[in-house]
Formats: sequence, C-alpha cells, structure tokens
Amino acid sequence: MRVRRPDLPSLVGGLVIAGLGTVLLLDQSDAIDLRFGTFAPIALAAMGAILVAVGLSRRA
Amino acid sequence: MEAQTPPQEPRRLYRSRGDRMIGGVAGGLGRYFKIDPVIVRIAAVALLFFGGVSALAYVAFLLLVPEEPREGAPPPPPVDRNKAATILGIGALILIGGPILIALGLAAAAVALPLAFIVLVGLLVWWLVSGEGPAGGAGDIAKSAALGIGVLLACCVIFVAGFWAAGLGGGTAAAIVVIAAGVTLVVSAFVGGFRLLILPALALALGVGCVSAAGVDLHGGVGEREYTPASAGDLRSEYRLGAGQLVVDLRQTRLPEGDTPLRMELGLGDALLLVPRDVCVASKATIGAGGVDFFDYNNGGLDVDFERRPAAAENGKRVVVDADVGMGAFEVRHNRRDRFDHRRGDEEQDPNTACASA
Repeated sequence: MRVRRPDLPSLVGGLVIAGLGTVLLLDQSDAIDLRFGTFAPIALAAMGAILVAVGLSRRA
Repeated sequence: MEAQTPPQEPRRLYRSRGDRMIGGVAGGLGRYFKIDPVIVRIAAVALLFFGGVSALAYVAFLLLVPEEPREGAPPPPPVDRNKAATILGIGALILIGGPILIALGLAAAAVALPLAFIVLVGLLVWWLVSGEGPAGGAGDIAKSAALGIGVLLACCVIFVAGFWAAGLGGGTAAAIVVIAAGVTLVVSAFVGGFRLLILPALALALGVGCVSAAGVDLHGGVGEREYTPASAGDLRSEYRLGAGQLVVDLRQTRLPEGDTPLRMELGLGDALLLVPRDVCVASKATIGAGGVDFFDYNNGGLDVDFERRPAAAENGKRVVVDADVGMGAFEVRHNRRDRFDHRRGDEEQDPNTACASA
C-alpha cells in the first residue's frame, strides 16, 4: 500500500504555529513571562522554518 | 576556377515597418542585432527609470535612422549627412530634453518602483500560500500578484484584530485559536494540505505575541486624556489609557513636601508627565517597545526597563512615578515639546534639579 507523503509546508507550518500558540497560552496563564527578547527570536525562527519547508517542498 | 561572389553590401540599420509599436526603432534594432525586439523593448522600458536614457536614445534613433525601404523598392542611397550638424543636433537634444526626461524618469520611477515592489510581494505571498510560482501570461501573473496582495491584506487585518483582541483581554482565546489553527494544518498535511491557512494563522499569532511581549493593555479607552489636578488630593492613584496620548500635568498642582506617588498605565501611545521645576522626580518605567524620555536622558528599543531614584532635597517635594507603557513613549518633562522639534531645549542644562542627588 502506498503511503501518501504529507504536505511539508502544512506540516511544518502547523507544528510551528501550534508551538507559537502554546507559548502564547503559557504567557497568558502566567506560567512564563514573554518579552520581545524571547518572542522575537521565536517568531523569526518560526517564519524561517515555514520558508524552508515551502522551499524544500518545491524542490521535492 | 571559382565563381566570384558579388561584394556583400554592408548591413544597414533601418526602423522597421512591419514590427513596430511606435516608430519601429526596437524592431529595427532587433533585426540589426538579430535579437528578439521584445528584449529591446523591455530594456528600453527598464532604462526609462534610469533618468530616461532610453527615451532620449529613442528620439535620437527616430530622427537619425531611416525607415526601411518598401518591398521591392531599391535601397535608399546613403545619405550624405552633415556630421557636424548631426552632432550639434544630438547635443542640443541632450541639453534640452535630458533634464526633462530625467525628471520624468524619476517621477515614473517613484510610482513604478513601489508598484513593482508590491507586485513582487504579492507574488511571493501567493507562492508561499499556494506553492504556485509566477507562470503563464501577463494576466496570470497579475492574477497571482492580486491574490497574494489580497491574502497579505487579510493577514494585516487578522494581525490587527488579534492585537486588539489580546489587548482587550482575549489573549487566552486567541492563543487557543492559534493552537487550533496549527493542529488543523498538521491534520490537513496528511490529506492534501491547507497552506492557505499558514499565513493568516501566523499573522494572528504575531498579533497576539506582540501584545503579550510588550504587555499591552488596551483597557481604559482610546483618545487623548489630559489631567491637571489642582492639589495632591485631586491626584488619582492611577492614570490609565488604552491607546492614545495620556498627559498628567502637575505644573499647577499644589504638591506636599515629601513623596507623592503616581502611577501611569498606557497600552499604546504616548504618556507624558509634566512637572514643575521645584519638584524632584523619581521614576520606574517598563516599556515593551518604544522609549523613555526622562529630562536629559532618553533610551529606546524593545523591553526597555528604566529606573531613577534620586532623593529629594531636604524638605523638598518628590513625585514618584511608576509607569507601564506597552508600546510607545514615556516622557517626563518640565515643558511640552513641539511634536516635530526633537532638539533639546533649556532642560538639558536644567534636568531634574530639585533632587539632592540625580
């Protein structure tokens, strides 16, 4: 049986966005204190991961 | 004995009769250099944005290059041009037309370059959300760019909506929506993918994230609020505004000796505390993104924490202000500053002088 390959950008984008949402939820519940010093690198890394996934999916 | 071939005539540059958009210059150049005239036309349009060079050259070609002879007609005899007159003509053309064309070229570039940038951004966004690069005819490319710009605008709206929702206390719900969007994307990856959701979900996450990181609280209304208490009894324990300009003017306030505590909370905008010169100011401020302007001191950026605790002079008055600004500026001054005047006034020589130790 042939297994369908997952759509890489959707997979990576979904994981990254769910991760971001979790960080935001932790901040809202005061479990962590989010500041730009931590949020900016996280957001940039998230965007970078999505771009890499889109690029890789085009090459595949 | 070899047959003698007739001497080949030199190639001549003509303006094309059949392949022309305006005067047949690009068609003629294409034929002469054996390249597609479309390339010549694209280069000419591109050079328009570099001071109108191509427009000037086009006019020169139009004036100096003859039109190709009609079918069956003998080639025109070489024109005995007066070289000096030709050079003078081109010189005059450059002198008179050059500045005008440069100005026109710059004006066209001022419109066309941002437009080209917007189209490129639209294409990039559409590539990100659909995986389709620019392909097909001009109509297809324009359609992709328009769709990309549409998605980008929708993302901007979602960013602002997420920002306001989180600022007004809906941060938890927004974070849950972000997680749900992420999970939906992961699930959709195994059934074909739903890339269109990536950017909107990211925009929402960034909007909520900015509010969380800056500590923006938009409760307290929007607009300009100015408070001028007459005495210490009129002072509130806290001055709060969601977004806008918050001004607390203590210059006419009768303040008691010793410490007068004050708290200013602003989500987004400018918080200004005006104090008389005989009052010492101690301050602690937290700014998520923006700056502090405390008399002669200023500092700005992200996650700005500021604290100055000078002691008041003996039997002196001291205002102890605790400020929390999400995004914007916190200013403590003796006088209002002109909005557009960022030069230092006389305060630079007279900063917080009512304190015993600054």
